[in-house]
Amino acid sequence: MKTSRMLGLVMIAPAAIMILLFFLMPVVLTGVFSMTNMTTATGISGGAYQIAPHSLNDLKSAMPEIAEQMSQPRYTIDEVGLKAVEGLGLDPGIATELRAKHMGEVFPSRREVERMIKGLDQRPSTPDVKKISEQFNRSVVNSRFSSKEELFSVLDTLGFTLTDGQKNSVADVTYTGWNWTTENFSRIVSSPDMARVLFNTLLYVALVLVLFNTTYAMLLAIWTHYMPSAPATIFRSIWLLPRITPVVIYVLMWKWLAWDTGFISVLMGKFGYEPKNYMLDNAYNAWVFVVLINGFIGASMGMLVFSSALKAIPKSQFFASEVDGASRWQQIRYIILPQMRWPILFVTCYQTLSLLASFNEILLSTRGGPGKATEVWSLAAYHTALNNYAGNLEYGLGAAMALVLVVIGIVLSLGYLRIFNYGTLVSRPLIED
Amino acid sequence: MRILLDNFSKSFGATKVIENMTLEVGHGEMLALLGPSGCGKSTTLFAICGIHRPTGGRILFGDRDVTDLPSQARNIGVVFQSYALYPHMTVAENIGFPLKVKGMATADIRKEVDRISGLVHIGNLLGRRPAELSGGQQQRVALARALVRKPDVLLLDEPLANLDAKLRLEMRSEIRRIQRETGITAILVTHDQVEAMSMCDRIAIMKEGEIVQIATPAEMYSDPRTAFVAGFLGNPPITFLRGVMANGVFSIPDSEIRVPLPASVAAAEGAKLMLGVRPEHFTPTGDIAVPGKVMFAETQGRENLYDVRLNGGPLLRSIQPVRHDVNIDDAVTWAIDSRNVLVFDDDGRRL
Ligand SMILES: Nc1ncnc2c1ncn2[C@@H]1O[C@H](COP(=O)(O)OP(=O)(O)OP(=O)(O)O)[C@@H](O)[C@H]1O
Ligand SMILES: [Mg+2]
Repeated sequence: MKTSRMLGLVMIAPAAIMILLFFLMPVVLTGVFSMTNMTTATGISGGAYQIAPHSLNDLKSAMPEIAEQMSQPRYTIDEVGLKAVEGLGLDPGIATELRAKHMGEVFPSRREVERMIKGLDQRPSTPDVKKISEQFNRSVVNSRFSSKEELFSVLDTLGFTLTDGQKNSVADVTYTGWNWTTENFSRIVSSPDMARVLFNTLLYVALVLVLFNTTYAMLLAIWTHYMPSAPATIFRSIWLLPRITPVVIYVLMWKWLAWDTGFISVLMGKFGYEPKNYMLDNAYNAWVFVVLINGFIGASMGMLVFSSALKAIPKSQFFASEVDGASRWQQIRYIILPQMRWPILFVTCYQTLSLLASFNEILLSTRGGPGKATEVWSLAAYHTALNNYAGNLEYGLGAAMALVLVVIGIVLSLGYLRIFNYGTLVSRPLIED
Repeated sequence: MRILLDNFSKSFGATKVIENMTLEVGHGEMLALLGPSGCGKSTTLFAICGIHRPTGGRILFGDRDVTDLPSQARNIGVVFQSYALYPHMTVAENIGFPLKVKGMATADIRKEVDRISGLVHIGNLLGRRPAELSGGQQQRVALARALVRKPDVLLLDEPLANLDAKLRLEMRSEIRRIQRETGITAILVTHDQVEAMSMCDRIAIMKEGEIVQIATPAEMYSDPRTAFVAGFLGNPPITFLRGVMANGVFSIPDSEIRVPLPASVAAAEGAKLMLGVRPEHFTPTGDIAVPGKVMFAETQGRENLYDVRLNGGPLLRSIQPVRHDVNIDDAVTWAIDSRNVLVFDDDGRRL
């Protein structure tokens, strides 16, 4: 008993590991990323502390004085500065005197340190005073620290008097790494861009699904069903071509058709129209092409599913309906379509999910353009997180967008599974009487 | 309405199923197409209802040539061998379908469906789907659907194959009654000879795509044209003795069995013959006594059935009123009724 259970576990282990690695992990990682504000700037490992002008700006509202102080240069007479002064090739007495009389002193402004230098016994000339004072400039602006501790100790030695709370505020605003945040989601909810992308997505899924993946696929299936089998096979194969052609090549053919030296332009040129890129000329055209490209690829699956479902209807039902007087249209309406309910539902479910997730055809054809006219959710996530012109990739936001897709997908799948299970439940058992 | 198959041929690609068949079914007649599996019964039926186009010849309904008319235009009712009910429709919708596609009003359809479903006793099943029916119930739904549009011609492809014995008896007379009442011309395809004999005005026996004989059941039984026909009709089936013509009588070499032949039979001396003896003509009361041993005994309730191995080796079958004095391995001497034997030549042709 025990060994058989062990054996069972061993047997399912590979499957469990696969599920964990390839199904669960990506989702979990997406979830983790979506809760951060990672970007190209923050990197995905930890960051550093950099007192950049913009971080001091941020600090101004909370701690105006400290921000002001930190933005000013500061002058500290220290060993490093003295060494540098010695290297300037001036009178060595200057360095010696500074070391003897002023070691460790901090001057809050250039004016004060220069007054002190001018008052030295050696009396350096005015240009030299400038050179010397520069060696002691210990301004914190634009300096970078790899850890909080380093930042704090430097602040201390530079003579800033800060409470622990203030120190932490400084650390926060100067941190260049990523943080945990839920901001991505509030951005998704509130951004009008996202609303536009959502609308595009719904339009895209609905148009392709309704026009091509189901209706057109059904037309093809029924059409080939009534054909003699040899031409039917040929037609089905032709309709499979978009599916089996590598998508890059397939989309390239569409682009060739549409671009300004392409087929349409040449053809329209004969009628005196200026050549132009018909695909990207306006949003309306772009949509037509996006729907056609995806539609012709997607219709093939529905056609196959519907064709085989049609084949599964016993021939005798067609014979019977003919004998019963049904015209071809009545046969389709009353015999075929009612029995296609499950295949249609299946194709709808499957294609909704794959349309939601796929963007390669759009990326290859319109890149979401013109403007963002054909930018759909998954493409927007891709652009946000992995590839955009601005160069600042927002991994966190992109992950959050992907997560939204994942959640929608899971919810839809669960809903579909329920429908399918329900379907098997409602077929009642055979009752004899 | 008269049906005429005139020189009808049908082949599927290179497979010739029917060649030059001519068959006429009179108006209001019910004809059985009887034959073994694969002989082309369904194919013939499918050609009559327009599902298969004939590869040769003509099909006439009355005087109308329907050879090139589609099924829809032929006004026929068909009960298919596999019922071919529509699984997604209720029984009522199935039966009403021929009327619905005609565009009849819903209320009228319901009236007709009620009437016809009462006729075939399925009034209580109208709300169910075919998957929720037994085989027999499905068959009656198919029959109702075939009848509902008052067809000119009714074609039945083994409509009773899936019924239990009692229901089969009931439906036999039921179908026959409906057919008589409606005066419809009907063709019944079956390989059950009892069904054919009890339901039909005439029987056409088919073998390998050809009609071997057409006759009324009684004629066919008493006067079969070939050994095949004789063997096909009758239950339990006829048994054959093989022998030769010797000294004017049928004799089996190496045995004492000698059977005088009816005067009408003309056979040359020494010709090889087959003697068909129906079970009811081999009983204790016949005129040519032959001894043998009981090999098999079976009671069928009112009658008993015996297989008797004659001393010469061949087997005869006997059917007799129930008796309890004969058991397996008993030696018996029963007699052949020589006036009723059927004589065939070596090729199975009746002499
Ligand atoms: N569509 C077809 N293509 C090729 N051969 C066929 C086709 N339909 C029937 N046949 C052949 O024609 C012959 C007659 O078939 P048919 O269905 O008429 O037989 P049947 O007499 O109805 O037999 P059963 O009693 O088993 O129903 C068979 O040998 C069958 O294999
Ligand atoms: Mg058949």
